[in-house]
Amino acid sequence: MKNKLSRFAVPYEVWMALFVVAPIVIMVFYAFSSAEGGFTLSNFVKMGDYTEVFLRSFELALIATAICLLIGYPVSYFMSREGASFRRTAMVLIMLPMWMNFLLRTYSWITILDNNGLLNQLFGKIGLIALYNNLTGSELTYFPMMNTQGAVVLGMVYNYLPFMILPIYSVIIKLDHSLLEAARDLGANSATVFRKVILPLSLPGVLSGITMVFVPSVSTFAISQMLGGGTELLLGDLIERQFLGGAYNPQLGAAISLVMMVIVVVCMVVMNRFGEGEEQAVML
Amino acid sequence: MSKRTSNRFGDSLLMGLVFLFLYAPIFILIIFSFNAGTSSSVWRGFSLHWYNELLHNRLILTSVYTTLMVSLLATLIATVAGTFAAIGFYSMRRSRRDTLMTVNNIPMMNADIVTGVSLCLLFVVFFNGWEHFAVWINSVQSAVTLPTRLSLGFGTMLIAHVCFNIPYVILAVGPKLRQMDRNLIDAAQDLGCTWMQAFWKVVIPEIKPGIVSGALTAFTMSVDDFIISYFTAGSSTSTLAMTIYGMTKKRVSPQINAVSTLLFVTVLVLLAIINIRESHQEKRAVRGTVSRPKAFKKPGRAVIILRRVAAGALACVLAVVLIVTGKAANARPVVNVCSWGEYIDEDLIAEFEETTGIAVNYQTVESNEALYSLIEMGGADFDVIVPSDYMIARLIDEGLLAELDYGNIPNYELIDAAYKGLNYDPDNKYTVPYAWGTLGIIYNTTMVDGEITSWDAMFDPQYAGQVLMINNSRDALAAALLDLGYSINTTDETELRAAFGRLREAKDAGVYQAFVMDQVFQKMEGGNAAIAMYYAGDYLTMLENNEDLAFVVPDEGSNWFVDAMCVLKTAQHKQEAEAWINFIASTTSSLANMDYIWYASPNGEALEQYGDYYFELYEEELDEELFAIMAPPVEVLDRCEIYENLPVDTLALYNDLWNQLGI
Repeated sequence: MKNKLSRFAVPYEVWMALFVVAPIVIMVFYAFSSAEGGFTLSNFVKMGDYTEVFLRSFELALIATAICLLIGYPVSYFMSREGASFRRTAMVLIMLPMWMNFLLRTYSWITILDNNGLLNQLFGKIGLIALYNNLTGSELTYFPMMNTQGAVVLGMVYNYLPFMILPIYSVIIKLDHSLLEAARDLGANSATVFRKVILPLSLPGVLSGITMVFVPSVSTFAISQMLGGGTELLLGDLIERQFLGGAYNPQLGAAISLVMMVIVVVCMVVMNRFGEGEEQAVML
Repeated sequence: MSKRTSNRFGDSLLMGLVFLFLYAPIFILIIFSFNAGTSSSVWRGFSLHWYNELLHNRLILTSVYTTLMVSLLATLIATVAGTFAAIGFYSMRRSRRDTLMTVNNIPMMNADIVTGVSLCLLFVVFFNGWEHFAVWINSVQSAVTLPTRLSLGFGTMLIAHVCFNIPYVILAVGPKLRQMDRNLIDAAQDLGCTWMQAFWKVVIPEIKPGIVSGALTAFTMSVDDFIISYFTAGSSTSTLAMTIYGMTKKRVSPQINAVSTLLFVTVLVLLAIINIRESHQEKRAVRGTVSRPKAFKKPGRAVIILRRVAAGALACVLAVVLIVTGKAANARPVVNVCSWGEYIDEDLIAEFEETTGIAVNYQTVESNEALYSLIEMGGADFDVIVPSDYMIARLIDEGLLAELDYGNIPNYELIDAAYKGLNYDPDNKYTVPYAWGTLGIIYNTTMVDGEITSWDAMFDPQYAGQVLMINNSRDALAAALLDLGYSINTTDETELRAAFGRLREAKDAGVYQAFVMDQVFQKMEGGNAAIAMYYAGDYLTMLENNEDLAFVVPDEGSNWFVDAMCVLKTAQHKQEAEAWINFIASTTSSLANMDYIWYASPNGEALEQYGDYYFELYEEELDEELFAIMAPPVEVLDRCEIYENLPVDTLALYNDLWNQLGI
């Protein structure tokens, strides 16, 4: 019986070999080839030129992840303390934007942030820009918000915030309330309960939230192109450019993708190692 | 007590702000879908105009159809395959399962771009292998002829979607399998079931909630995906996300706002139905005494009806959308044309389709370099392309263009001799010129003091944050080369590095607000930037929407370019392609096109007659000055050079420098 059922997995094993393992093998192969097809390490050597891009991508993604966590944790925590119907409505409202394509939502920010955009129009009307000019002696006609790193981070936070809220919320909501009661009975005040019980127990949710925000942030190219104006290249832009953009060089692109993959996987393994202990704590 | 209320207030405030943050952009999108004007930030009154336009926009409707088809098919395949795989996984030894689960998690763990890129490479490698194989098969036997050329398209995109969907299904079904009591299967078999029956009657019902939630997740992921589709769909298949991405690179039509509004409302209604249903169930569960095992709980009549209504509504909406959009998609493309954004009078496409019965699949690409990447990656199944001079030379060099049969293009005779035999195609074998013009500086006279006459303006810290640099290596470096007094065709590494230094310095000084291609329209028209370098014809288009703009071909000289129609060697519809080229080269088409895109035509007759044509159309004289920008006089052209194809080493240097400029 058992063996018969395990045969069900065979087609998928073949599929994985073809479409999960083989592409990565080919990517590795490309990363170590020159344009003429010979073996080379030059793609990796060349990557030294792009250290800044790596650093910038990780920096912006980390900032975005931190902001998501700072907003997402309290939101999940407050939501979990509300009544069932409020919780359900809030969940739907948080997930709803995800069903609309992220490019559309990001595009809308251009309308808001542009030099002649809605926010600057608003600031102009309420006299904020004039006030700022009076205070600082500058002569701005708008606040430059589009095409800045801030705009890119905002785009990341906007798009990936639900990915932070959902896992944290789903862990907190499942917490055993008797644990909290026990802590209180033993004399802990609410701050201590939060610090000693809720926070440690919700860590697995936090960790999975961090990965779910960090990975897409560090590899995005659409958001940085739309809101960053292409002046500050991110890793995703660099890769896209080597394949379908203005600087055709798939070997270099494969090498960069490979390095990015390795870094992300290492980060996740480290985090999971750290997270598994926590998960066991929850199980106990 | 008071602390509690203040906390409450804090909670609500935070939640309110987060929801405002999440929804403000969406509501703005929705509001501006009803805008009478084209602007996405200036309100000009209420109108349903864009919704009406949307119903006639084949590009958008087709992409909605493609999105739904690929998502539905991928979900279906992934759900079935994933369920079987999960059952298999949970019936095998733990060590083997763990290994397989690790592999299974790879697509979920990897950044989308890595999955997309690696699949793209796989397909490219496979296509190359297939070509050799097919050629060999076709040469050793004649019974079957295999197609030698495969390209990225719907099929490859579907594979990619199935690929990233299956892991989600397995992850949803897995826990249900783990919870299932294994004795159930044995019990069923003891009671006389075959193992097949046990599977269908016991296992599947038991894990059904997991299957449903897996399928829903898969569908959501598919609909929302952009990056993986972008790398695996090739050029002629486009999901809604890809269409939007393409549009954000030029002028975004409010039709996109209209689509998003419709999508948003549909999702909202569906979620509301599901939500009401769930709250009904929950209330019943609360009212019920002891919570009974789910399998034995009979849903109430109201719930059943509601469920049926919801399912029916969903099916109806899907069916209507598929029929409406499918109708648009079904006009089978017979000639695939790829050109630049805002580079054709779209009425010409309709006219061509009507007179010849050949459907045109018209697409745009951002730059010559991007077009080249697409062709090299095997993602381009175009028939006709319209690259610029230097790129044509490169494509000819690399044997990617087909020789034209000029017998099918009698209108070639009408092309002025000045645009024949140019260095990129000296023997006139591959090309029919489409349009020509100059590169120059566009500036807003209200934002810049005095006149601009030099390329210096593109590098001047005085204009920090006000300048839009062009987003392609050849033109950007050309501006710097000209500014330094070098030739735009230089192969001297020192000169090129000096030019790069000039760009780098200006970029570090914050001169550039952004690197743009066709986004330049919106930015310059809306007064969001003061200076940009772009093409003369596009300046004239912008001038129609913003009278304060001026154009100059700087004193140091510039590039004059010819864009010409060519047919790719891999074209599947060469005859239709030649028919299209002939149609576009005709005098009437050239006149209409010239009037619409404001680029000069190489058609001698059209160039001569344009003044009269303009007078007849608008009942006013054509402005000589404007015409001189469109088709510059000899003294301006004498200052300009045409781009030549550069040697491989120089091209590699261009790529390197261009990558580094982004840093």
